[in-house]
Amino acid sequence: MSRRRVDARDGADNDAAGDREDDARGQETNFEVTRTWDDLEEVDGNLAVTAISEAEKRRRLLKDTTPLQRGIIRHLILLLDMSDAMGEKDLRPTRFQVTLNFTIAFIREYFEQNPISQLGIIAMRNGVAEPISDMSGNPTEHIKAVSRQKAAEPHGQPSLENALDLARAALFHAPSHGTREILLVMGALHSVDPGDVHRTIDALVADKIHASVIGLAAQVAICHELVSKTNNGDTSGYNIIMHEGHLRELMMAVTTPPATLEQAKSASSLLMMGFPSRTVDTQPSLCACHSRPSREGYLCSRCGTKVCGLPSECPACSLTLILSTHLARSYHHLFPLVNWVEVPWSSANRSSECFACQRLFPEVPSREQWHDKDSHETSSSRYECTTCHSHFCIECDLFAHEVVHNCPGCQSGLATAGLMGEVEMEDGHLNGYDGNAMGVES
Amino acid sequence: MDGADGSQHFSDELPSREQSPSLLTIILDTNPAAWALIDSVLPISNAVANLLVFINAHLACNYTNQVAVIASHCDKAHWLYPTASVQKPRQERQHSSRDLSQDDDDDEVPTNRNKRVKLNVNGTSATQDGPTMSETESNKYRPYRLIEEELVRNLRSLTSSTSPATIQETSSTKVAGALTLALSYINRRSQEYQESSTGISASLADQAVATATDSSNSSSNVLQSRILIITLSPSTDLAHQYIPIMNSIFACQRLNIPIDVLQLPLLPSDPKQKHPEPVTTTTDISNTPTQTSTVFLQQASDATHGIFILAHLTPPPPQSSASTPDPPPTTRIATNSMLTYLLTSFLSAPSTRHHLITPTRIDVDFRAACFCHRNIIPTGYVCSICLSIFCDQSLEALDREGCLTCGTELSVRGQGVGSMGRTPVVVAAKKKKRKKGGVSGVGTPRAETPV
Repeated sequence: MSRRRVDARDGADNDAAGDREDDARGQETNFEVTRTWDDLEEVDGNLAVTAISEAEKRRRLLKDTTPLQRGIIRHLILLLDMSDAMGEKDLRPTRFQVTLNFTIAFIREYFEQNPISQLGIIAMRNGVAEPISDMSGNPTEHIKAVSRQKAAEPHGQPSLENALDLARAALFHAPSHGTREILLVMGALHSVDPGDVHRTIDALVADKIHASVIGLAAQVAICHELVSKTNNGDTSGYNIIMHEGHLRELMMAVTTPPATLEQAKSASSLLMMGFPSRTVDTQPSLCACHSRPSREGYLCSRCGTKVCGLPSECPACSLTLILSTHLARSYHHLFPLVNWVEVPWSSANRSSECFACQRLFPEVPSREQWHDKDSHETSSSRYECTTCHSHFCIECDLFAHEVVHNCPGCQSGLATAGLMGEVEMEDGHLNGYDGNAMGVES
Repeated sequence: MDGADGSQHFSDELPSREQSPSLLTIILDTNPAAWALIDSVLPISNAVANLLVFINAHLACNYTNQVAVIASHCDKAHWLYPTASVQKPRQERQHSSRDLSQDDDDDEVPTNRNKRVKLNVNGTSATQDGPTMSETESNKYRPYRLIEEELVRNLRSLTSSTSPATIQETSSTKVAGALTLALSYINRRSQEYQESSTGISASLADQAVATATDSSNSSSNVLQSRILIITLSPSTDLAHQYIPIMNSIFACQRLNIPIDVLQLPLLPSDPKQKHPEPVTTTTDISNTPTQTSTVFLQQASDATHGIFILAHLTPPPPQSSASTPDPPPTTRIATNSMLTYLLTSFLSAPSTRHHLITPTRIDVDFRAACFCHRNIIPTGYVCSICLSIFCDQSLEALDREGCLTCGTELSVRGQGVGSMGRTPVVVAAKKKKRKKGGVSGVGTPRAETPV
């Protein structure tokens, strides 16, 4: 239906529509067929589970670690579908409950990874868009609002145009040095719109808003168009879930700051921020943000008004107030930890336990056992950091890449660390982040 | 009815009444240069003895408590307890691998896995480095003795393997490496505990999320861990490790691991020095003792709800009684001060701390240092790309060259609220339409040239 409307409105788009059709067909036949029964291994009559679980963990880890320029100050609107389709029970207990639970985890993770960013939540229910919580930087507020929705039931039809219009209005005030994003979790396969949804999409493109969609059921053409138009033809932002774990993975992937595209680079500017210090008075006074009396708070560096929590904006002079730790929280996106490589059996006898946690590795078997029957090399369970050449177990690999973002071996002095933490080999070869030194005399 | 027949005993959650095991990880700063400076007041042998008493006390609190010790040395972070064999560098191992494979069948030669400490009944030690104390202390409680022996042995080998050249190279210690090792170990132990108690293997981050959302707050199946850092080195040297330390702090925050810090002062402290009063205005850092204490570690313990203490190591007053002779002034050492600090402040497990009033610092300086001059600034300019902080003295340079870190062109005279010092744009004056020539009307007054 939507395709025909495009052809009627703009004849010049015919070729584009035709390409899109071929593209869509090509995409349909490219999905992977997983034959999980082929992956099972048998060792001495027992199923070898460890190799599979390790491979599963590794798969989660391997992502691109080139240090990209990323949008650190983000303004994200989360659009949740609360129509009848979310009452389906293909995700237990219902799609709606699962989405809300993951949303709460998403909110926590989002503010952990992006402390100076803002989030707003809008729901689509009964053909209209309902704001769940306004754009703010306070996670507890959002979590409270979402928890309140748990009692409500999904009802009615989803309206994409209304939701996108409301999101666009909420993002109108976002400054240009931050990113403007929309994440849409869509469970329905249709949308009821009062006007022309394509005009809304064009308005989003004009406002430089990037949209990404997570579909719970199947691919919907209008969502495909939304993602491709707002991201300059790149449809990698549109994903359909395969199972519950995949939904969680996709939502958490959005918490990572997006890489900046070439055109957006010209909008960088210098932001003035205040770094207040904590004060404690002997007598309570009112804080400027909530008018609640308290003895301790932070004084704005420019005008001296007291605010109770950071990060926040000074209510009097609109200066962004943050702690330096909030900025430091985003550094690991800019200086990511390089991926570790698996160690083949030939060099596995260098270590008998994990360097970081002292967990014992399996012993090196004789040479014949190094390859299994399909001539794939069996895993030696050792993972090596390419900079410091120490061996780690899979748990430390996961832990270091997902939680700590430091390599234990590199930090333990086997390589010297530069001022911003970039790691150098002892012969001066720079690995990892390849930036200029800041020339600071310490 | 349930109360009468006693079935409540089985339906209630028993584990909530028992105290769950606690893992204490100690990071000991073994920077030889720093210890040499403090040697007159507190030699390292006394400090290690105090530490061992503290470890014994921690293990005595609960049968299932665990401990781990890591040394943060000047050029590396090293495990002191528990240790298995050390990873050898590439070249050596290839030669010895053949010997190992031959010895596999030989049961008498203890392999590396079995070479943990054997019970020294006959006084013959299983390890060959140096004399052990087993002959004289066979009556010591075995777990305490094992820890003591292993710790002292590893510390001795660590210090003896350090050359003077490495000490001269750097005067800081690898706190970031030690923190990362501690976190990996805690991760491993928590997973093992989780598996053994509930049979579900979940990653530590998942466990932390589960306990955060769990309203009943029963932490019985999660291992409570904490990290204690005993440090001496001056603060300025840690600037090189800023990002890795910050990463470790955020990881601890996420996993609810409190970081406690005991800072031993390098200069012997004046006993007449008053404890600083709480400040009501912004902190003036030139006067307070924060100048000698580590700002990063202060922020660490504040962010993770731990305890930070700057110790005052006052030597004990001279004995004036006739029975004990007056010790000469040069041997006055603060033997027990450190132990007092450890036992009174740092012994409590995280779950107990809710019920105690813990010593906290309220004057932690969170202000940022600018990247160009290392000044502490209350307001700064942040590059939106790489998040480096600059002070207003660099505005000219930034406008000219772009961001000093990432090189991006920055519009200092930008739009919106962030624009500062923007010269106002002069709007060209509109010329009104002239009626019947000559009369300028209500437009801009023209200067009449005097005729």
